Amino acid sequence: MTLDLMARQGSIVAFDDADPAAVDRLGGKGAGLAQMTQAGLRVPPGFVITTEACRHYLERKAMPDGLAEQIFAELEALEQRSGKSFGHGPAPMLLSVRSGAPVSMPGMMDTILNLGMNRDAAVALAEQTSDTRFMAQLVSRFHAMYAEIVLDALDEPDAVQQFVNQVTPTDPAGDTFDRLWRLCEEELDQSCSESVPADPHAQLLGAVEAVFRSWNTRRARTYRDHHGVPHDLGTAVVVQAMVFGNVSDDSGSGVVFTRNPVTGEPGLFGEYLAASQGEDVVAGIRTPAPVAQALAPAVLAELTHLAAALEKSQGDVLDIEFTVERSTLYLLQVRSAKRTPEAAVRIAADLLADGTLTLAQALKRVSLQQVRQVQRPGFDTDEVAAAHVDGRCLTTGTGACPGQVSGVLVLDPDRAMSTAAAGERPVLARAITSPADLHGMIASVGIVTATGGSTSHAAVVARSLATACVVGASEIIIDESARTMTVGGCTVREGDPISLDGATGEVFLGALNTATPAAATGALAELLDRASSAAGAAVLGRAATSPAVQDALTSGASGVLIPVEAAVAKGGRLDEFEQYLADLHDTDGASPAHARGALADLVADTMTPLLTAAGETEVVVRALDPSTDELTDLWGPGPNGATLAQRLLLPLAVPTVIQAQLDGVARAVATSGRHRSVHFSVGHISDTAEIEVLRDLARPYDGVLLVGAEATSVRGLTNLAMLHDHEASGAQTWLDLYAVQAGIFGWPATRLFALEGLDDYVSRGLLHGDPRASVDPCVSALVTAVDEAVRRQLSVQLTSEVAPAVAAALHRWGVRRFAVDNDEVRPLLLALGRAVFRD
Amino acid sequence: MTAPALAKSEYDVCNTVALKRMATPTTIAQVTGHPADEIDNVLDELARRGLVVRAGEASLATSDAVPALAQAASQLYAELREDQHLLELVDRFDIVNKQFLVTMSAWQQVDIGGRKVLNDHSDADYDEKVIAKLIKLVDRLDALVAALGEYDRRFGSYSQRFATALYGVDSGRTELVSSAVDDSVHNIWHEFHEDLLRTLGRERSE
Repeated sequence: MTLDLMARQGSIVAFDDADPAAVDRLGGKGAGLAQMTQAGLRVPPGFVITTEACRHYLERKAMPDGLAEQIFAELEALEQRSGKSFGHGPAPMLLSVRSGAPVSMPGMMDTILNLGMNRDAAVALAEQTSDTRFMAQLVSRFHAMYAEIVLDALDEPDAVQQFVNQVTPTDPAGDTFDRLWRLCEEELDQSCSESVPADPHAQLLGAVEAVFRSWNTRRARTYRDHHGVPHDLGTAVVVQAMVFGNVSDDSGSGVVFTRNPVTGEPGLFGEYLAASQGEDVVAGIRTPAPVAQALAPAVLAELTHLAAALEKSQGDVLDIEFTVERSTLYLLQVRSAKRTPEAAVRIAADLLADGTLTLAQALKRVSLQQVRQVQRPGFDTDEVAAAHVDGRCLTTGTGACPGQVSGVLVLDPDRAMSTAAAGERPVLARAITSPADLHGMIASVGIVTATGGSTSHAAVVARSLATACVVGASEIIIDESARTMTVGGCTVREGDPISLDGATGEVFLGALNTATPAAATGALAELLDRASSAAGAAVLGRAATSPAVQDALTSGASGVLIPVEAAVAKGGRLDEFEQYLADLHDTDGASPAHARGALADLVADTMTPLLTAAGETEVVVRALDPSTDELTDLWGPGPNGATLAQRLLLPLAVPTVIQAQLDGVARAVATSGRHRSVHFSVGHISDTAEIEVLRDLARPYDGVLLVGAEATSVRGLTNLAMLHDHEASGAQTWLDLYAVQAGIFGWPATRLFALEGLDDYVSRGLLHGDPRASVDPCVSALVTAVDEAVRRQLSVQLTSEVAPAVAAALHRWGVRRFAVDNDEVRPLLLALGRAVFRD
Repeated sequence: MTAPALAKSEYDVCNTVALKRMATPTTIAQVTGHPADEIDNVLDELARRGLVVRAGEASLATSDAVPALAQAASQLYAELREDQHLLELVDRFDIVNKQFLVTMSAWQQVDIGGRKVLNDHSDADYDEKVIAKLIKLVDRLDALVAALGEYDRRFGSYSQRFATALYGVDSGRTELVSSAVDDSVHNIWHEFHEDLLRTLGRERSE
């Protein structure tokens, strides 16, 4: 096979000549390097051995004819371009070899660096840098990498490392190389039957073949099986010349972010270490300095300019790995920068504001999970400052898992569990934790240990539970028999309030008030405001107390949905409420009239403060729902042998119950001074006859209350169009989506998100999807069967965390009013904004 | 008067309960390989002796369990404790253990500009590097587990459990890396470490 044919078959191509769009042939890394090279960025030159070559190799289980020649031809071209020579001096060229599949997957080969060392190259390198020790480090690193990655040897570098440590810069190069290579091979011999090739060309072919072989590691195959990725794609191999940050004082390596990845503030943020290679920094041997200080002015200027240009063209904040070799700046890798949730929000808002991103793009830069993180209440900063001044900061340990919590001190896991069961918030303090403490740790809102570092058992477990945790608070002394924790002169008794900050490691005496962080109320609010406008949807929070109403509105909700039984329970009057309901169903007794009035009074008293807090924003009151946890008491034998709750599932069975609630809410509206009407929604309705009766009952309250159904069953959803009042303006018909979805599976409505074993079931693929994260096809069919005009008037209640797919589907079907938990208002606004721009 | 020594099956069962704090007969059977009905009888005997408390399906270790286990271990594993080759492997384990804890932390937290932030697992490349490292570290245990297995076959179950967990991780169930509640790589490793310390008669140094 001629070399021309190979070229036409596309087995190898230089970065300069490759088509950056051909990711299937070049792999992700190869395509990226091709693109950067052709965009004029100074990237170390190299070439890509394509996936086609890999496929040939896998088919015949041997290197394709002519591939080796092609590789060496390309290598020559590389030598000319870089002015260096492979396998000999005066300026030896070393290569990196890395795998790069079209689809990222586990099990692929690690990168090999410094390939191309033989005696000649090593001696030339030592002479060129006047540093035999530097050469020895490179040789030992290469040998270890090749052995571990290509030959699968165990790395036992101690003897070699000791040798390298005693090499001086002026030792004779040739002799040092000989002794070092022999030592490396001896060490290797102990665990492996093969040796690292002495000939650089053989090293290169060995590495390329190892990349090809790694396509079929057990892990890669398992991954492909599970993700339905074809086994015949193959991987590409990226061969690139290396540049060195450690050859001279005007060389170095570093990483820079185009903006601060912690806060999102504009301005280059990064580190640079002169006379070093990337691995030196990772090994922690020396400490880098901030780029602004450490880089030569000309290089800094070039980097700053590049950063701005790249940020603009990529439309995102970037993380740039670079090396300076003898004052020349080379880019190694450019990626989207990892960032904190706060930074993500700030960056999206800033890039939107300065026109770099459209709204559609900006909304994609923030995830729902980041929104949840950013809005989590933190300690009021003034309170923290005051606590420091008052001396209430007991001690500072190591922050092991972020979170700011206040609770009561407990000193053992059993006490943590009983405290949590009593409805309080335990903060568990231990000298040290062990697996035996797990149940207590799960029950706690915060964990403090006297010992341990950020890799200790307590730290790892706390993080897996996402529970705020401070470790290594060495000043605390726990006395389990006296039930105290002592720090310095201060003694805290079990049961006393304490607070901790799992990021800073501070432990405080007493409780600290929390507030919504500025990041949520600032940049995020702007972004979500735009999202909300774009989506044209109203998002209501769910509230059962006045503070909760306020929380909903602060989060950006346009109103609230108030479940009657939840509000009554929070007001502490649930027993009374249940008694009146029982009385109303007692057909023998004389209590009904009294009970109706008393029930109405109770509802009025409960609702008035909430309506006051809501002002003139939209309010939906959801009639009592017997299937909720609050009313499970009612599921016991009642008079006449029929359980009360079962009768309540037939919402119009005892009309007086509805009337009493209507009475109460109407009076609350009047008392609160509210002008805008309130919508009263009744669940479990599925028939037009039911809705007729409901409308009759509501007629006396025309102008104050609007009534409607909430469909919670398949029957209700099927009949939805008929349940909706097309005549009345402002009429609402609600759908409890997850109640219907759970019902479709045959599960109790309240169990969908708490179903034992559902996680495992879903991850085993037994349901072809996750009913908590998407709308089931059966339910979709029912919803889309509803006339579109009615769908546009439909309101949907969602529970638990908002799933993006669910929000997008509902939006696509025309739904424009939603009710969610207060904590999910912001995430839903984001999800709806993004749904607008979906294809 | 010293308590009677534990029979082998009693040691195995009691040890498992102590390591997990709370265990059902099914779990104990999976870990020890003893049949379920035998385990039931053993648990009753251990309860009679005040070493475990049975509460429904689960058994919990009492505060007398660990001292009894320690004493039994000193006899059961006396020969093992003199094995120089094995002790060398144990020394190597200490190094591997430190690397394991660091790798576990890297799974849970990423360094962003000097600040440690919880890993939201949105960077598949980063996660993959950590998992590849974990797999290498688990592989390093093989020699030690095999050496222990020469003295007591039950140690083989650790290899099986690691393999199951890692297979689960490769199938996408990444919670099996460090979950506190599942049979995750972290939990298995931790139990192994405690078991090893008890076997050798050593204390944990955090």
